[in-house]
Amino acid sequence: MKVLLTAEKLTKHYKDVVALDSVSFDISEGITGILGENGAGKSTAIKLFLGLIEPTSGSAKALGQDAHVSIAVRAKLGYMPEHDCLPSNITAAEFLGHMAEVSGLPPSHARTRAADTLRHVGLFEERYRSMGGYSTGMKQRVKLAQALVHDPTFVFLDEPTAGLDPGGREEMLELVRKTHREFGISILFSSHLMADVERACDRIIVLQSGRLVESGEVTHFTKETETVFIEVDSNRERLVAALEQRGIAVTADGHGLYIEGPDESVYDQVRDALVEAEAPLRRMAPRRRALAELFQHEGEDFASELSP
Amino acid sequence: MTGQPEVTKREGTVFDIGYQNYTGPREGRNRARLSVIKNGVRTSLGFGRGALAKVLPWLFIGVLVFIAIIMALVAGAADRLIGPEDAEQLNLPSHSDFYGIASIIFFVFAAVGAPELLCPDRREGVINLYLVRPLTGSDYAFSRWLAFFMVMVAVAWLPQFILLIGLIMGDPQPVDYLLDNWLDIPKFLAAGIPLAAYTTTLALLTAAFTTRRAYAAVFLVGLFVITTPFTTGLASEIGGTAGQWISMFNLSNIPVHVNDVIFGEPSVITREAPAAELSAWILVGWFLLWTLVPAGVLWVRYRRLTP
Repeated sequence: MKVLLTAEKLTKHYKDVVALDSVSFDISEGITGILGENGAGKSTAIKLFLGLIEPTSGSAKALGQDAHVSIAVRAKLGYMPEHDCLPSNITAAEFLGHMAEVSGLPPSHARTRAADTLRHVGLFEERYRSMGGYSTGMKQRVKLAQALVHDPTFVFLDEPTAGLDPGGREEMLELVRKTHREFGISILFSSHLMADVERACDRIIVLQSGRLVESGEVTHFTKETETVFIEVDSNRERLVAALEQRGIAVTADGHGLYIEGPDESVYDQVRDALVEAEAPLRRMAPRRRALAELFQHEGEDFASELSP
Repeated sequence: MTGQPEVTKREGTVFDIGYQNYTGPREGRNRARLSVIKNGVRTSLGFGRGALAKVLPWLFIGVLVFIAIIMALVAGAADRLIGPEDAEQLNLPSHSDFYGIASIIFFVFAAVGAPELLCPDRREGVINLYLVRPLTGSDYAFSRWLAFFMVMVAVAWLPQFILLIGLIMGDPQPVDYLLDNWLDIPKFLAAGIPLAAYTTTLALLTAAFTTRRAYAAVFLVGLFVITTPFTTGLASEIGGTAGQWISMFNLSNIPVHVNDVIFGEPSVITREAPAAELSAWILVGWFLLWTLVPAGVLWVRYRRLTP
């Protein structure tokens, strides 16, 4: 896969504060999540890749270029900020057309692209309404649209689900996935919510206090475990007793039962126990780890920051 | 022949061609600058905004045009009622006096209009979206400056052209009037430029230090309104060279002195000002100082701006 962003011994100091400490990583095509608590260095890394600030040492290259030296490369980059960034008194169509022009597109192409992009984020019908009257979800969509309107090669999304309700969050994550799947645009998805990163991203980078903690494929971190998860509709206690009678150690929580380290024969024993306990089976499957579990060792504060 | 025309049924299909990657031209930084300038001009005049955004700029433009029409009507009436020779003796205000007479309107227009180009972008965070595109903070500030400067030049020239047309039409011999006074045209065109540069720079500099348009507008209007009576009173009280220099701090007169230098005569507004007695080089130098230094501060403020 083609490498699009490269950080080499990237360091950034703000006076005495170390925002990034000799961090090195590559980001290739696809959706990459960048995780970390507040102050971990996520936003600093994005600003360095966009060339908005200079590194103290090391280098940050986007599409093979240092955007601080050659700002022309920003024409192929998109950025969706976390905070409000939309003017309230103009229409989405006019605003997006203007943003496309500022990215270098001629006016006629910019207008067409603005309408197309608003259609893709589901705001085509609302494009001639003043943005001051938009809901939070609609504003997030316009923020995403302005990052895509000039058809960038790579987009930085800073907390794209911030402030959204569960429905809006799901729609935004689907839009993010669609942006890569259908538009072919690669994404760096910055978030402090592991669940969002887990659902939207192919790979993750975890930063803590300016240092790289983990990086790799999401599937590698969430691969199947040696635990079998069982959920039944009723007679749960009888099932537990039946399993323990067969010498199988069972743990339970509010969701269901867990059996650690099973071999192939355990499935036959579970089947027999289910019959004996007359427990209707809803689900039985090898359990996948959640990303949040991987970072428990980083400390309670970190884990709680990263939970939704 | 059956007599029945054959009806052919046309079938149409709507295709959703999905997302299309952009393969057209990318014009880079120059297009970005041009777009910020164009957007600035539209914002200043309220184009593409609601009706309320158009009220103030067009009200000021209307007032300036109205002043020009009144001046032309008075001159035309005097020519016809008492004759051209006697009318000339009255020394009625003309092109050389217009910028002085209307200077306070220009300043209020700039004080109200220029902050609209900078304040909302910082207050609403739109500046972040500009700075991540192929555009630097300096590009942004210069493009905004140029946009409002162009508007101010147009707003300065428009009433002067209306005044010119009025004076030509009001004269009993229009062609002779034009032949005798054609030099006023390059003079008022030239005098409009320092007025526009000065008001644009001071107004944008003030706007660069606040995110609230109203604060910037009130501060600027207050500055111009307060310095005029304060410096005029103090200068006449002290008198002499010190009085002349105090008079130089009348901020609303600074570009009008340059106007006087261009026309070669003091306008009705600056005729009594002690600073008018200073040499042309000092007056022009003072104007440059009050325009270039604020422009430099504005540039420094935006040069290192990051989201």
